[in-house]
Amino acid sequence: LCRGGLAERLCRLQNRERSAISFWRHQCLSDAKIASDESGVLIVKILEIFEECTIQVAICQQLEKSPATLSSQDTAISAREPILKVLFAKETAAHLKTRPQDVIHIYPPWQKLLLKNADVPVIMNTYFSQKVLLSDHSEATEKTYSLTKMLIRKNIISLAQTFRLDDLDDELHQEPSANQVACVPLLHNNCDSKHQSAVNDSLLEMVESQGAVGWREVQVQVVIQRVYCLPAREGYRSHVQGNKPLWMFCRLCLLVQDAYGMFSEVQLHSLSSADEMEQYCRRWEGKFCCLAGMKILQRTTRGRALGLFSLIDSLWPPVVPVKVPGQSQDHEMMTTNHPPPSFCYILTVQSGEIRVEVDEEKPVSNLYQPAAVLGLKEILQIDGCNQRCSFWARVLYIRVQAKHSVPVNQREIWLFVSDSTLQDVAHITPKVVAVSVAASCVLSTEITEALSATSQLVFFKDALWGNGRIICVERTVLLLQKPLLCSAAGADLSELTGPVRLDELDSTTQANSICTVRGTVVGVNESTAFSWPTCDRCGNGKLELCPQDRRQLYCSQCSEVVISPVLKMQLEIFLSCPSQTRRIVKVKVWHKMSFGVLSIERLGSYEVQSVLGKEVGLLNCYVHSVTSHPDCVMLEEIVLL
Amino acid sequence: MESTLPAVAEELLREIKKAFQETSQGRDLAFFRLKFVFGPSAVPALDLVDQRSVTRVKSPSGRTTYQVLGSSGKLYTCFGSCHFCTCPAFGFSVLQKSESLLCKHILAVYLSRALGACQELSVSEEQFSSILLAEEDDDA
Repeated sequence: LCRGGLAERLCRLQNRERSAISFWRHQCLSDAKIASDESGVLIVKILEIFEECTIQVAICQQLEKSPATLSSQDTAISAREPILKVLFAKETAAHLKTRPQDVIHIYPPWQKLLLKNADVPVIMNTYFSQKVLLSDHSEATEKTYSLTKMLIRKNIISLAQTFRLDDLDDELHQEPSANQVACVPLLHNNCDSKHQSAVNDSLLEMVESQGAVGWREVQVQVVIQRVYCLPAREGYRSHVQGNKPLWMFCRLCLLVQDAYGMFSEVQLHSLSSADEMEQYCRRWEGKFCCLAGMKILQRTTRGRALGLFSLIDSLWPPVVPVKVPGQSQDHEMMTTNHPPPSFCYILTVQSGEIRVEVDEEKPVSNLYQPAAVLGLKEILQIDGCNQRCSFWARVLYIRVQAKHSVPVNQREIWLFVSDSTLQDVAHITPKVVAVSVAASCVLSTEITEALSATSQLVFFKDALWGNGRIICVERTVLLLQKPLLCSAAGADLSELTGPVRLDELDSTTQANSICTVRGTVVGVNESTAFSWPTCDRCGNGKLELCPQDRRQLYCSQCSEVVISPVLKMQLEIFLSCPSQTRRIVKVKVWHKMSFGVLSIERLGSYEVQSVLGKEVGLLNCYVHSVTSHPDCVMLEEIVLL
Repeated sequence: MESTLPAVAEELLREIKKAFQETSQGRDLAFFRLKFVFGPSAVPALDLVDQRSVTRVKSPSGRTTYQVLGSSGKLYTCFGSCHFCTCPAFGFSVLQKSESLLCKHILAVYLSRALGACQELSVSEEQFSSILLAEEDDDA
């Protein structure tokens, strides 16, 4: 069971109840008589019994007086006595051996339920019930009753009937759903008067005093350090349709910090548009926020949530002194000596109404630590693993993971980026760095469209550096717009002063990188040569034969016949590079210009002899693989954005 | 004779929904009453709610169904328009023996709805149909 969850709470109640019932029953057996005029005792006479799903429903008459005063001959049902429907749990009914005409005493804490559109009240939680034997019933009669197995009619409940939880039909949600509508006006500044109470500044205190069920009554003031979104739970991955972007299955999340330096991750609503996250990021980071109506989803620790804690570590130590619990608050203690936190509460919205009030008007808090922007060169020199880093970079080339078994929206993307710290200085550091964007890093549609169109200047916020790689994972945010509060140094780093330069192919070149190459053609791999027609309108390379006229080509993307297709060619050539005398350099060329250099107009109608000896370069290439035995490099010509 | 239990169950679920806006005492009482009617399903259903295992799945045409991630890791489908669940307990306790009103998954769906703890998922019409027709695969 979830610690602190609703189930645990009910379990505790149940255990208390169970021990109370068995204690009570034990007591009953040893007592001779039970006073029937105890306040709260319900006295009923069973008229009819039937069973529904192991619960016995007894139609009863409520008796005012103890039945001892009634004569057993008095069987007439008085019309003035109220009728009740009393429910008995299976165990209680077995214990009581209920029969019609029985008189039962029901002791507190029984519960009454009034159904709408029904006159007869329902009595439940009748655990503490006891049958009263009328004085002139002999024990023999009682024994006879228990010998004959009483047949109680069983009502079979129809499955067609469902429960309505609301007066309004809340099953059919209109877009945006009710959940999301409640979220949108998050900016109201006036506090709901129902929940007027002192604003607390300690997350830990609130968590420990209120328990898991929620903090309806109290508000906690925190500072929003980061805004990002997290993908939905793993269980639904299999149903995530391959074409839908990941942001549709994500929730907006805040990493907040209180006045004592404690962090918490607050999970809010699902996003209704991809740009929402960027907007919230810009408007909310650094601002003060009042949380109310939250519940604890989880208490997580460093060992279990490495990603979350790498982000928390990047925000530690706090930039201003934080309060220390228990100390007098006149002199606040510095916490630079304290180690970063080892646990973090993950909170979520309790019910439909989310109360997250962000004061956008107020200036940014002193506690806020904006992402420290570094140059790529500095980042590559960081010693350590799992460090969050932020930087501006220009995206030069994009590569998407080619595995077809993985849905499009879950494929890893490689962004080849550079900035002035790598470009402008002649160094041993590479000129271009490959940044891996994992499927768990949520990209807005704006970013993905912009990236595929032209070379973009992107702000990578809280990417992860480790093992010589920069990766974008959960909680990393990619932004196109310049955030308001970046350290000023970052502003200039990304502007490249001249045309982009790539490293030339050499012995240190690794696979999955980009480089330039030049050389002389020493061979052609004819078996790899092929050409294919493409649509002259949209460039679609997968044309089909026209169903009506199989001599013509049809583009399914344009939904039209392609009159003059553009022929694309692909060919693998072998180069001899000046610096790489013993290495086999294979380059897959496909660009029109390259074919121009090779003087190849059409594959199949050129002379290999005429191609050999041609000088090719500088070609920008993607390195597919580098092998040492044989010493071979496989390249593919690319076009930078 | 008209049945009593469904009306009682419905009223208790509405109560739970209202009780969550009030004091903790109101909540405890609502649970206490709920436990009486739903018996052994109550705690497991609440556990499913605690773990946010219930998802409301919608299709573009407006059809709705629910999916519950069971404790064993299996995904069960609960219909919204009638009481039906693809879990074995439903087939046994509810359909065959009429011993329970609901299985813990259907109860978890109602509780999640009452407490606003449903996750939301929108899928295509095709995906939606495959979810509804997928029971045979679960037995594999």
